[in-house]
Amino acid sequence: MPNNENYYLDLFQVTRPQLESLVAAGIKEGGSYSDLFFENTTYQDLLLRDGIVSSGGFHIDYGVGIRVLKGDRTGYAYSESTDTKSMTEAAKAAALIATGQGNLAGADLGHQPYPAAARRGQTRPGPEGGPAINYYPFVGDWRMAEAKVFVPFMERIQKEISARDNRVLKVIISLSNQISDILMFNSFGELTHDTRPMGTVAASIVFTQNGKIENKTVSRSYRTGTEMLTDTLLEEIVSEAVKGIDERFAARRPKGGKMSVVMGAGASGILLHEAMGHAFEADFNRKGQSIFSDRIGEKVCSEDISIVDDGTIPGNRGAVNFDDEGVPGQKTFMVRNGVLESYLHDRISATHFGVSPTGNGRRESFRYAPIPRMRATYMLGGKTSKEDIIASVRKGVYVDQFSNGQVQIGEGDFTFFVKSGFLIEEGKLTMPVKDINIIGNGPQALADITAVGNDPKVDEGAWTCGKGQSCPVSCGIPTVLVNNLTVGGE
Amino acid sequence: MEEITGMLTESEIRMAELCLDKALELGADKARVTLNKSLMELFGILNGELDKVNHCLDRSLSVCLFVDGKYGTFSTNRLVDSELDSFLRKSVATVRMLAEDPCRDLPDPGRTVKDALSGKELGLYDPSYPSLTSDERLKMALDASIFKKHEEDGLISEEGEYSDSIFDTFVLDSNGLRCRHIETSFEYGVEMTVKDPEGNRFSGYWWDSTPRLADLKISDCGETAFQRAMAQIGPKKVPSGKYTLVVDSENSSRLVTPLTSALGAFALQQKNSFLLDTLGKKVFPEWLDLIDMPHAKGQTGSRLFDSEGVATKETPVIEKGVVKEYFVNTYMSNKMGIAPTIEDVTRPVIPPCVSPELTKPGKMDRQAIMDLVKDGILVTGFNGGNSNSATGDFSFGVEGFLFKDGRVVHPVREMLITGNLLTLWNNLLAAGDDARTCKSKVIPTLAFKNVDFSA
Repeated sequence: MPNNENYYLDLFQVTRPQLESLVAAGIKEGGSYSDLFFENTTYQDLLLRDGIVSSGGFHIDYGVGIRVLKGDRTGYAYSESTDTKSMTEAAKAAALIATGQGNLAGADLGHQPYPAAARRGQTRPGPEGGPAINYYPFVGDWRMAEAKVFVPFMERIQKEISARDNRVLKVIISLSNQISDILMFNSFGELTHDTRPMGTVAASIVFTQNGKIENKTVSRSYRTGTEMLTDTLLEEIVSEAVKGIDERFAARRPKGGKMSVVMGAGASGILLHEAMGHAFEADFNRKGQSIFSDRIGEKVCSEDISIVDDGTIPGNRGAVNFDDEGVPGQKTFMVRNGVLESYLHDRISATHFGVSPTGNGRRESFRYAPIPRMRATYMLGGKTSKEDIIASVRKGVYVDQFSNGQVQIGEGDFTFFVKSGFLIEEGKLTMPVKDINIIGNGPQALADITAVGNDPKVDEGAWTCGKGQSCPVSCGIPTVLVNNLTVGGE
Repeated sequence: MEEITGMLTESEIRMAELCLDKALELGADKARVTLNKSLMELFGILNGELDKVNHCLDRSLSVCLFVDGKYGTFSTNRLVDSELDSFLRKSVATVRMLAEDPCRDLPDPGRTVKDALSGKELGLYDPSYPSLTSDERLKMALDASIFKKHEEDGLISEEGEYSDSIFDTFVLDSNGLRCRHIETSFEYGVEMTVKDPEGNRFSGYWWDSTPRLADLKISDCGETAFQRAMAQIGPKKVPSGKYTLVVDSENSSRLVTPLTSALGAFALQQKNSFLLDTLGKKVFPEWLDLIDMPHAKGQTGSRLFDSEGVATKETPVIEKGVVKEYFVNTYMSNKMGIAPTIEDVTRPVIPPCVSPELTKPGKMDRQAIMDLVKDGILVTGFNGGNSNSATGDFSFGVEGFLFKDGRVVHPVREMLITGNLLTLWNNLLAAGDDARTCKSKVIPTLAFKNVDFSA
């Protein structure tokens, strides 16, 4: 990664005085804070279908987002050109939030500089605005590698999957990657920069058996370079792709209703993401919309439970050297030993609550203003073995693969869709189950976690969180037992 | 290049034409260029006060290249001459690294649209748009707030957004296609969060969107959202079991999307569709029709052409329960050896209908349908869930109301509906006439019998 601010200034064809002038424009209009987010992203995608890599391409996205804050209020505009005229016009549009426009609301528009709290939590950046710690060093720059380099790897995955199970009917392999060069500057005079890699390999397989059709999708995604394309990764994808297909064809819908649910280690972290992660994003709490509003410091679950949101896992999809406001990546305890400890903050909410930003101000691209978003959300390990947890359940389900989830912030009702699992009867895994939705209520589900496994695991699939804008995230959990979730069924 | 004004300029269109010429000059046998430009303005209001202002101006150019029997797609928003030249050179070089695929081709010129020249043929452009000022936008957003009116009624948060946009797209290809689509959109949406005496929170959302500002029902949204939130206070459990399901017109398209996806050639060719081999077969009840109506003037979702430039037309998709249409683009047509149609449904419409076991009432709105089926669960919101594209098995989280004899008894939430989409649709009791015009999927209130609810 270039650790030299000149690389980024040259890339975006701007100078420091220009940056200072742009943020000053927003402040001059009455804003309390202003920042700039420059982005140059190159995406590449390749698709193998019916045995050949016959489509692909690349996509270039370049621009600058300009934000002016007036207290909690946000003015935002962006330009796809970084020439002075275009950026100045965008800055003027963003500054609308701070100018006479607000008088129509009869609001107090008195000028207040942004408080020091918005800067607290900053750790010292590295030399020349780069990160002090690089959580995603990479060797092979995706931009430098030609498409033909990746084709054999994709073909090998397809051939291996087809060779290992004669029920394979169709295979689609996709390889997508991106590199983003980011330059940030704010009205505190802080300049930060980052180069973010991401590589994703996914396999979508259709199986047939006795006239029945089943499908399965496997993915792996990392913040790293081309060096991720190893034989180990290939074997991981292939073996997971063909695993559990007998069970999938044999699976049935269980009888629905309330029951105990054992969440398998890893991808079951979707429970944390939906059941509490979103409700802990501080913008929902600032607006009083979240079911967890005003509950910081309360004990909400067993003291065996600690839940963190972490931007510092090396190479993880949710890792951030800096968030998209220039705040260094960090690890935030949302729940420590059963007690709610912190929301996930951007600069706006941190200022609102008088705390330090937690490095959760993230955005999909320069087209979006940053908002509080999760990174890698997971639960720390407990003391019980997976086997003992399953053995403790008389009647319930064990679930381990998922496709999607959702939450209603106000009510706290969350759901996630289970692609595969098993019934648990008298402490043993019995009939395979699939394609069922599970629903629960966030605070209640947390309180209903009665056992935490000693097998913590962060999933490495290509999870993407949607909250008006997409963000790469990851999730993880040890095996846990949750009593009284509602399971869909017949 | 001229200053961006919110719609494509002559010089931008000329740039797209030059890109097509350049791609051919660099070695492409055929090519398609799509140039998009849009402008969106947003004013967000929190509890009656301005909370955010967004100004979003986008341009992008995408190119589909057919080189030596190979194919690739590329896009960039770096629309300056020097950048475009290297972009196109690298694009052509990249396509050459991929495998040959003889099925890749541009659509036959006989299938592409001929009557989309100005982009305004469908009446989706509001001429008043350019004169709208920021002050007027902000005033509309602020005037829509009802926070103060209901502050004492348990309302704790009102988050409303007024936005408008203009979208302009121009498509041309090396077979002579030239087509354009311009539309404006005006939208207001608001989420209300209320608190009951025990501190439980409930939220309600409502929105409206139209191509013409004069048609925007902005003043109704706040009250509707507030009433939807208040109506959810005091939910009670109902036992798991089979109920009649009524889904309101705000949410009913959720049950139609998996059908149209399963009729798409991408799913069919991969054998990943529960509607495989159903063309011409009666797999739905004979009282169900689903029609693609893409040419409704002034209506949200209407389009004269798809992304390949193929002309859309009014088409029965399901007629008297029989599957009449697959969605097949040029590539899939060549791959599957079947006739091409369009790549996807454009503006699906379900006309009113009633199962023969019931008597069709005079009115067909949501209340009339609840009266018709008498007892069941009215779903007014989905909460997650999914369906298996290969089998049609589904499971969705839902919230809504238990009703008896057509009247709401109490709210329900934290429930799931589970089943198979083919079975569900064959249990269709009725479709209303109350589809929301703000949506591109024109799907009314729907009622189904014998649906498994888990609670």
